[in-house]
Amino acid sequence: MTGTEFMNIRENQDIKIIDVKADLSSYAASDLRKVLEELLTEKVNKVVVNFEDVGHINSTAVGTLVGIAKRLRQNGGDLKLCNLTSTLTRTFNLIGASSVVEIYESEKSAIAAF
Amino acid sequence: MKKERIELNVPSDVFYLESVRVFIGKLSETLRFSKKRIADIQLALDEICTNAVYHGSSCASSGIQLQISVDTSSLEIVVSDKGREGIQDWSTSEKLAEIQANRSPTSERGHGLYLIDCLTDVHKLQTNAVGGTDVTAIFYRDVQQENG
Repeated sequence: MTGTEFMNIRENQDIKIIDVKADLSSYAASDLRKVLEELLTEKVNKVVVNFEDVGHINSTAVGTLVGIAKRLRQNGGDLKLCNLTSTLTRTFNLIGASSVVEIYESEKSAIAAF
Repeated sequence: MKKERIELNVPSDVFYLESVRVFIGKLSETLRFSKKRIADIQLALDEICTNAVYHGSSCASSGIQLQISVDTSSLEIVVSDKGREGIQDWSTSEKLAEIQANRSPTSERGHGLYLIDCLTDVHKLQTNAVGGTDVTAIFYRDVQQENG
C-alpha cells in the first residue's frame, strides 16, 4: 500500500509516515481511517501523520486519530503528528485531544520521539 | 446594510461538505472576518453539516438546507435536515446534555456539539416542522477587530 486519493505513505525504517494531501473534513477523514486501519491490519505499530499540506481538520478526523493512537499503544507502538498549523493545533486543544495524541513541530522530531 | 440571504440545498452526503466549507470561508473573507474567525466559522459549519448528514437524514437525496443571512452586525447560518426515523430526538435538550456530559478527550466521537458551542457566538438547536433539526449559528461581525 503506497497511498490513496488523499494520503501518501512512506517508510523510515520501521515507521510509516502518512502525508495527508487534503483538508480533513468528514469525506477525507474516512480515507484517513481506511489507511490507518489497513496499517493496523498489517501489524504496523509506529505511525507518523504529516499535516504539512492540511489547513483544516474536523472532530471526526481528530476522533479517528485518537482511536487509532489508543489501538497502536495497545500494540506497543504509537501515533505521532507533525507539522500542524496553529489552527489545527487549536482544534486538537479545544477537544482536549492534544493530551492524548502527541504533536511535534517537525517530522524529524516526531520520528526521534519513538 | 439590510439583511441579505443566501440559500443552499446540498445532498446529504459528506462528499459535498468540503465545497460548503470553502464557500462559507470565501463569504466570511468577503465580510472581513479575521483569518482565525474564518477558521472558526468553517469548522463550526463543518461540524453542524456533518451532524446533519450523519444524524439528520435518511439518505443523500433527502438533502440538507443552509440559510445564510448577512447584515451589518452578524453572519447567521441555519442548517436544516429532514430527520431520520428512530433518531429524531438526537437534538433534544436531554440528549444534548447527555452527549456533553459523556464527552471525553479520549473519545472518538461526541466532540462536534462541544466545538460548535466553543466556536459560535450564539447557537441553538430546535426540532423543525418536518421532524428534522434546525441548527442556528450566529457569528457577530466586529469590523474594528477583524484585521487579522
